[in-house]
Amino acid sequence: MPLAYGRASHGKPIGGGVVSGRGKAFARLFAVQAAWNYERMLGIGMGYAAEPLLAGLEATDSERHAEAAGRSAEFFNCHPYLAGLALGASVAAEYAGESEDRIRRLKTALCGTLGALGDHLFWAGLLPAMMGLALIVAVVWSPWWGVGLFLVGYNGCRVAVAWWGLRTGLDTGMRVGQAIASSWVPRVRRWVGLAAGFLVGVAIPLAGRFLLGGLGRSQILIGVGVAVLGLALAYRFRATFGGVRYGLLAVALVLLWFGVLP
Amino acid sequence: MESSVLMGIGLLWVWATIAGLDLVSVPQSMVARPFIVAVVAGAILGDLLAGARIGIVLELFALDALPIGAARYPDYGAATMGAVLVAAGQPPVAGLGVGAATGLVLAALGGWTMPVLRRANARAIRDRLEMLRTGHAATIRSLQYAGLARDGIRSGLLSLIAIGAGLLIRHLPPLEGDAAAALTVAVVGAGLASVLSGALRTAGRSRRCRWLTAGLLTGSLLAVAL
Repeated sequence: MPLAYGRASHGKPIGGGVVSGRGKAFARLFAVQAAWNYERMLGIGMGYAAEPLLAGLEATDSERHAEAAGRSAEFFNCHPYLAGLALGASVAAEYAGESEDRIRRLKTALCGTLGALGDHLFWAGLLPAMMGLALIVAVVWSPWWGVGLFLVGYNGCRVAVAWWGLRTGLDTGMRVGQAIASSWVPRVRRWVGLAAGFLVGVAIPLAGRFLLGGLGRSQILIGVGVAVLGLALAYRFRATFGGVRYGLLAVALVLLWFGVLP
Repeated sequence: MESSVLMGIGLLWVWATIAGLDLVSVPQSMVARPFIVAVVAGAILGDLLAGARIGIVLELFALDALPIGAARYPDYGAATMGAVLVAAGQPPVAGLGVGAATGLVLAALGGWTMPVLRRANARAIRDRLEMLRTGHAATIRSLQYAGLARDGIRSGLLSLIAIGAGLLIRHLPPLEGDAAAALTVAVVGAGLASVLSGALRTAGRSRRCRWLTAGLLTGSLLAVAL
């Protein structure tokens, strides 16, 4: 059932956050980055995901619907898994009849907040934690168990968070910032980060042993030396000297040394 | 070429293309991670352990990069598949170094294609600004599907290049003993440096650094004990 359309008091969305098209919008959020570009970033993906949610507005006020649909596809950027929070909140604000200016300010405020939160929670937290665990399981037990554990564990969390985000956004509208601050997210973010540090730490020596296991003692020591040198270079030139560049440099030096490269 | 070989290559192409799409466009379920791509590619090629070795070493590099916002990062999907194609069926020391080196080059190439794709998406949007301003639903949908199609073509082409590179390198004369071992040592050492520097950078001087240290000690004890 679509929300009733009307002006909200104190930014509270009208209709208790019940909006039709949630399932469709949720599914579309999985492709929110499909048209990612440097000008609107997630904008087109957000507009695409907003379409089913805004359908109810078309019946009551087609002019407002056209404006809302246009706004939904404007510049926006945040972590893709948390885009549902911004989508839900902005759609609820459209139904609540909030002004154009307030909706744009809400989205601008959410860009930085959801970007930083998602980067910490997922890219620097859950992803390395689950991958560290998967590598440990793969080395100690079996690669397939590592793959299965990672895909089920990571995606289970990711899907649950995305659904929570869309629901919370739709239910809280303009008050989404308070809803995030008082939710489980800030607490979990800290713990996931610590778990990631520990699990990646355990995985590194195990991976090194697994990969260098068939080599002699002197070759293993050289490998450790290459790692220490790389660490020092990464520390000294951290802005320009990423892991892949160091890897390619090491490969090129070996090939030159053995005369494989002219 | 035998039909079973063609079937295997076809499966690899499909798998690497799916992984390429997963990296950014849809559904970002992390099947594009090198460890996942490599284990499946190894199974397709009948050498699961070679896949696992390549996957783990390239994952050490991938863990260094955070795919944040507009940052350019390597695309390991097709690259990992090409690396496994090189390493499968080879002795571990010989296959790992050459395969991972191939993967690193292809991953850097894949990373270069991302800005090209993003600029193409932006150009398509610029042509339809007026329709977008009025919230024209069909325009938004068409831009979304076109972006998806562009990324599909990008990852399909990258996968073809990776298959070609993999098959070509397999047909080159193999590296001899010392050179092969040195390449393996260099790539694994660089991978360890990469994951460690990424972990230290993320941890900073916070409590996470202490947990990382505890993890490193635990992992070292396990590595000696196992």
